[in-house]
Amino acid sequence: MDRTTVRIKAVYSQLDCLLTGVDRLKKADISGFTVQAPLPRHEIEDIMYEGRPSNVRWWTLTGAMLGVTIGFLLPALTHATWPMINPGGKPVVAVVPFTVIMFECTILFGALFTFAGLLFHSGLPGFWLDRSLKDPRMTDASFGITFTAARPKDSERITELLQQTGALEVTTGDETIYEVPNV
Amino acid sequence: MALIEVIDQNDPGKPNRPATYQESNRDIIRVLLNPTLLHSAAVLIAVVAMAIGGWAWYQQITWGMGVAGITHPTMWGVYIVTFVFWIGIGHAGTLISAILFLVRSRWRTGVYRASEAMTVFAVMTALLFPVLHLGRCWQAYWFFPYPNQRQLWMNFKSPLMWDVFAISTYFTVSAVFFYVGLLPDIAVFRDHSRGLVKRVYGLLCLGWRGTHKQWHAYMGAYGFFAAFAAPLVLSVHSVVSWDFAMAPTAGWHSTIFPPYFVAGAIFSGCAMVISLLLPMTLLFKWDKYVNTWHFENLAKMCLLTSGILTYAYATEYFVGWYSQNPYEQSIFFWRADPGADYGWAFWLMVFCNCIAPLAWYNKWMRTHPAPLFIIAAIVNVGMWMERFNIVVSSIAHNFDPATWWTYYPSLVEWGILVGSAGWFSFWFLLFAKTFPAVAITEIKEMVAPPVKGSLEA
Repeated sequence: MDRTTVRIKAVYSQLDCLLTGVDRLKKADISGFTVQAPLPRHEIEDIMYEGRPSNVRWWTLTGAMLGVTIGFLLPALTHATWPMINPGGKPVVAVVPFTVIMFECTILFGALFTFAGLLFHSGLPGFWLDRSLKDPRMTDASFGITFTAARPKDSERITELLQQTGALEVTTGDETIYEVPNV
Repeated sequence: MALIEVIDQNDPGKPNRPATYQESNRDIIRVLLNPTLLHSAAVLIAVVAMAIGGWAWYQQITWGMGVAGITHPTMWGVYIVTFVFWIGIGHAGTLISAILFLVRSRWRTGVYRASEAMTVFAVMTALLFPVLHLGRCWQAYWFFPYPNQRQLWMNFKSPLMWDVFAISTYFTVSAVFFYVGLLPDIAVFRDHSRGLVKRVYGLLCLGWRGTHKQWHAYMGAYGFFAAFAAPLVLSVHSVVSWDFAMAPTAGWHSTIFPPYFVAGAIFSGCAMVISLLLPMTLLFKWDKYVNTWHFENLAKMCLLTSGILTYAYATEYFVGWYSQNPYEQSIFFWRADPGADYGWAFWLMVFCNCIAPLAWYNKWMRTHPAPLFIIAAIVNVGMWMERFNIVVSSIAHNFDPATWWTYYPSLVEWGILVGSAGWFSFWFLLFAKTFPAVAITEIKEMVAPPVKGSLEA
């Protein structure tokens, strides 16, 4: 973390309090925070993304289009290169039997590209995330709003704002790093 | 028994739902903490079964393919029958995880993770069979079409080549879909473990932290995976059926095969889910998450697909009779002749797949563990017999009477069959003990979110 910035974290046990916190930050024109939740909630998506769908879909489309192209070119070029096999009097480049290969490749490449898109847009692997985000409570039952690099001059305003939203705790600096005794 | 209890039919999941997020975490994590004697015994049985399979394979490698019962004209025997059986078993997993996700079916939540695991392990088992059937397994690299220095002249117009693409795609997509669903749940396991185990779970979940970016991309991707996997379920067993239906062999060459195979695959898969989850539910005390509601729905799925199969069997005979094709009529009437070589196999199949499941029309029979388990086991036997009937009888009784031959599996082939069941069970048991076999995240979605009641946003 840049030494000129500060970490701030609010932990919530209630979803509506978390949403209130996010809403107030947005209304105060404060950005640069991460929301954490133990499950996907459409309320969080709605408030953070305002209905914008994930860009993973473009990866899916690219993969599927690439797949259908490969699914045609692989058998077509193979048969054109070695044109000796002509079973059942079918043409060398026979579109109907190749449709099965095209279909399978569309699914295969579409799914693999979707996985790549998921990794890219979600920032996975996330081993290098800031330590304040590595809070085991966030996979258990708590929600969180975390600033990993807030400007020091904003920290007091953000802390005060978050404290008014029903957070269980609001911590700053190294106190945001939560380490539980192992279960 | 805790598994069976009176449930509210208006909201069947309700009585068994956990009250809080912590409770669902705690219940599923408990699996890690309680190694039981029963589980260890089950693993031991699976290992013994694998050892039997290993012994059989060793015999085959040492003495050659002659120790297997397959010979001309029945060159496809137990290995292909079992291969198709395991591919079919996988289908219910994808159906439950993908198709039921797309139609927002609520009962999938408790059972889909175990079903997905079953899919992946069943396809892993099926993938052994091309190598086993090859005989000279050390030359398995000849399966790969490229590079072509071996002058393979691979034929993309052949259903066998389509099958390679269909099954490898199915395995890859199922495995990725399965892994993506596991990511947030492995993160829960990581945060409740320590030491080396924590590091391993940490690596496997790719450092998942439940940030809004992660959930947004996850939900976007998950829908696409489901949308890809749904047509894949229908296509894979259609392509497997074309391995047979595209050949001009009487008894195989039928346009009814793709829907007939897909229905059969889902039928056997749902029965296998019942067979696996019933003991697991009792063993790991998952009754809060997997209960009568789920098993009853699985039994109903079996009833539906059993009806489709029965209709398909009848249609095959009608088409055989109506076609007036002597070869077609010959094979179908011979198959059903109780005095013929495989008459017993045909009637066993009819009993297991068409008659025994009818018991599930009775509510008591589909809501109590003993009848559920017994009928599901009968269905599994029946579906193996169905593939045996299709694969073996058609080629044992082909166009040329001079080549007719009665094939019975050898001890080595039975050994390989037992070994494959051991291999499948071993992976499933291991998975159930080390990973969340009930989807924690989706269970949490069924819990009412904690709220204070002061929502401004």
